[in-house]
Amino acid sequence: MVRRRRQVAFARSGDLVEVRLGEEERDLVGRLAGQLRTLLAADDDPGLRRLYPAAYPDDPDRDADYAALVHDDLLRHRLDAVEVVGDTCGNDTLEPAELEQWMVVLNSLRLVLGTRLDISEEDEFDPEAPDVAERSLLLWLGLLLEEAVEASTGFLVG
Amino acid sequence: MTRAALPDVGEEVRGDIGEDADTDRPWIVLVWNDPINLMSYVAWVFQKLFGYSRHKAEQLMLDVHHKGRAVVSSGTREKAEMDVFRLHEHGLWATMQQDD
Repeated sequence: MVRRRRQVAFARSGDLVEVRLGEEERDLVGRLAGQLRTLLAADDDPGLRRLYPAAYPDDPDRDADYAALVHDDLLRHRLDAVEVVGDTCGNDTLEPAELEQWMVVLNSLRLVLGTRLDISEEDEFDPEAPDVAERSLLLWLGLLLEEAVEASTGFLVG
Repeated sequence: MTRAALPDVGEEVRGDIGEDADTDRPWIVLVWNDPINLMSYVAWVFQKLFGYSRHKAEQLMLDVHHKGRAVVSSGTREKAEMDVFRLHEHGLWATMQQDD
């Protein structure tokens, strides 16, 4: 279980984003990023399915071509993001581009975890559930991502 | 021994004819509702990738959420495929198909 934070995790500060995470949470982010790296590199976990969706669900031939074309790029994109998070999880501030890499990692982790838990929109949080630890983690990652989105929206043009 | 890397011309020509016959109809990019992605994140991705206003991005996100899917972009097959790829980079469940 993860202790609830007292303040938002990310706050815009001029051209940068202030990271207001405690040490435990930074450690957790770093550890999870490392686990994601291992999963991505092994490339055989069924939980990775949602990271590589079909582009042409009704056309297996075209879809196979698409997958062959983009798989390595999608993999590299996420591995690059994992590396940035590993390098910056102790930082007090992030560049907007670094925050976006954090968002890639947070969202990828949620997709893997949510796929493993087979969650649905109707699911309600049950503190007695046997997988409550994983579900808590999913919620915590969601909070972080939500706050990252909020901080990042200010940098979008328009 | 190695084989000469000559393309199979017959195959290529057939493939090209098949594609040319279809070029009039544009391709559309669909994003589908999924139980994992956050609504705020999906709207942010639409703003970032397509330069949509916050209002338009949120409207599209709500369409995805309530109707199960929304068309988020359209164009040539190449453009649609690039858009799908960028959506996949951001973890969204995107597909493409030719408009009927």
